[in-house]
Amino acid sequence: MTFGELLERHEREIFAYVLRLTGNRADADDLYQETFLAAFRGWPPPRAGNERAWLYKIATNKAIDRVRRTRRLVPIADLRLAAPERDGVTLSDLGTAVRALPTGQRAAFVLRKVEGRPYAEVADALGCSEEAARSRVAEAMKKVKEAVR
Amino acid sequence: MNALEPLVGEARERLVARAKREGLVTVGYDVMDSPLGPLWIAVGPRGVVNIHYGATPDPRELSRITRAYGPGVLPDRRSCDRVLTELDQYFAGRRRSFDVPVDLAALTPFQQRILAATARVPYGELTTYKVVARQAGNEQASRAAGAALRANPIPIVVPCHRIVATDGTLGGYAGGLAAKRRLLALERGKAEVPEGGWEPSRR
Repeated sequence: MTFGELLERHEREIFAYVLRLTGNRADADDLYQETFLAAFRGWPPPRAGNERAWLYKIATNKAIDRVRRTRRLVPIADLRLAAPERDGVTLSDLGTAVRALPTGQRAAFVLRKVEGRPYAEVADALGCSEEAARSRVAEAMKKVKEAVR
Repeated sequence: MNALEPLVGEARERLVARAKREGLVTVGYDVMDSPLGPLWIAVGPRGVVNIHYGATPDPRELSRITRAYGPGVLPDRRSCDRVLTELDQYFAGRRRSFDVPVDLAALTPFQQRILAATARVPYGELTTYKVVARQAGNEQASRAAGAALRANPIPIVVPCHRIVATDGTLGGYAGGLAAKRRLLALERGKAEVPEGGWEPSRR
């Protein structure tokens, strides 16, 4: 596999994912670049055939590092690109609720509820057990539901 | 996903520029929309490494490129600018020879000699597998010359379409015989190849 093949196969979904995580284009652009540069520097992928989970994991870690570094949460203005409206909740309400989540729960929520990734992949991306991933998603859901009630 | 395309495209340009600055990119590629259909074009540090008839690379060629230059093969129009410009001029009938360097280092010495002999066949002229085999040092090896030309990684720029069988029939071509006919027709200013092909030069 080459860098180009990895990029062409996964760049769109990784960009969409980091856009949902950060909520703005400039930060998404940076995270997309940091993710792929880290992948190129860390070549080869740890497991053949599992490059996608590897990229999600790098992207998630980069996003968490970034929040820790900058100590700020960014608005989810671009969430309209991502999530369909559900259960009569407006996207603006949902954006506010997701924005208020701690980073780990926020990544878990976006991976599971927006991206629809299986729990095994959520766990992989977050570097935790599947059980912990379920509990983070459940906790995030609870908070989001309370916030939009 | 469509709303994302331009955003991803711009992010990708910046990513490739950064990867280049860090020395992570060894080969840049692009896809050209040519009159013969899409051409996948790759350029390495020493010149053009591959032109493939198709929008995606040939897996064997890609393996060869990766063996020679590592995995740092990324989409990058800038690396390909020069060869793209020259190909555009060639297809428009405004260029008769290519100045862009080609990189044949990963080929066997025999293949290199065959392709070097092929590169000397002038625009619009024809020669035979037998003649290029002789120029590569082995007149008996015209069949091997044919095989080397079929495996030519840089068609058009290394003009293997100018090599035909001794009886003037077209022989084979990696891009298909229709592409070979179109290239020869372009160079010889004819709309079509005459019945039975052309008479090759006997040099």
